[in-house]
Amino acid sequence: MDAESVKVMAAALCMAFGAAAAAIGESWIATKAMDGMARNPEVSDKLFTNMIVAMAITESNSIYALVISLIILFVS
Amino acid sequence: MEAISLPAEEVMHIGSVVITNSFTATVLSSLIIIFVAFLIRWKAGVIPTRMQVAFEMVLEFFLLQLTTSLGGNEKRARKILPFILTIFLIIALSNQFFLLPLVGAFVTDHGHHLFRVPTSDYSFTIAFAVLVIVLSHVLAFCISPINHINNFFRFRSFLKIRKFSDIPNAFIDFFLGLLEGIGEFAKIISLATRLFGNIFSGEVIIIIVSGLMFYTQFLVPIPFYLLGMLAGLVQAFVFSILSLLFISATIRNAEHGH
Repeated sequence: MDAESVKVMAAALCMAFGAAAAAIGESWIATKAMDGMARNPEVSDKLFTNMIVAMAITESNSIYALVISLIILFVS
Repeated sequence: MEAISLPAEEVMHIGSVVITNSFTATVLSSLIIIFVAFLIRWKAGVIPTRMQVAFEMVLEFFLLQLTTSLGGNEKRARKILPFILTIFLIIALSNQFFLLPLVGAFVTDHGHHLFRVPTSDYSFTIAFAVLVIVLSHVLAFCISPINHINNFFRFRSFLKIRKFSDIPNAFIDFFLGLLEGIGEFAKIISLATRLFGNIFSGEVIIIIVSGLMFYTQFLVPIPFYLLGMLAGLVQAFVFSILSLLFISATIRNAEHGH
């Protein structure tokens, strides 16, 4: 394999694992938040804000993977 | 396909200062914000206009969040609020910059765009992240200097040693303080990279989809534009909420001490 194809494969693997892990984490957060909202609908506004913030923090791991794969691909 | 470049392209230089296309876009969006602010102030009154109601809702929301996370200190919250709101406004507008008509049509002599979405430039986001973290430390230092330094260099834990078995605990506490200092740098990187990655990936998706083949240039990118708008709003909200939380958490830690 030459260097170019190794680069492409590295970027793809990096993004694949990053996205899978973030998807698991985010779905867990959404499940728990929905549970909380269904049990206690009065606090759903507050829960929604916290859910968005927690999701963004969880998502940032996959964003790091994305940035690293973008750097692998486009920075020579 | 259009070229994808991670750093911002150079448009011109004045003397030895390089003006990049994200800088021109930042100046343009600041001018838009100032114009809208004057417009709203001019029409504001006791009977609110629609825009005034919308902006007052945003203000009330952030004031409530800031007051609760500062522990009910509304006077201090009102002092920090303009900074948070400014960050929210400039990032929310910068994320939607690609929606402005004609901005993609200006091209310089070298074939670069004259304007680029400012938040898709890493230096923009990292400047904001550094500003937020440094401001939080300056505020905490002004409020109680000794407590704030003691949160990171915990020499006070050595003074608490009473018997021989306390010594390892004191060392562990000291190194935990140093680790928290490293955590502050990690905060800067994570805050900047989150915003940059989201917006830049949205742009890359649009470029790739519209460059895929001839037929995908027209209607196919529209859902991705909608996704980009949503991600832009959510990320602006998340950035300002997180900076609010960082600032208030640092201040409260300094107040209560370790």
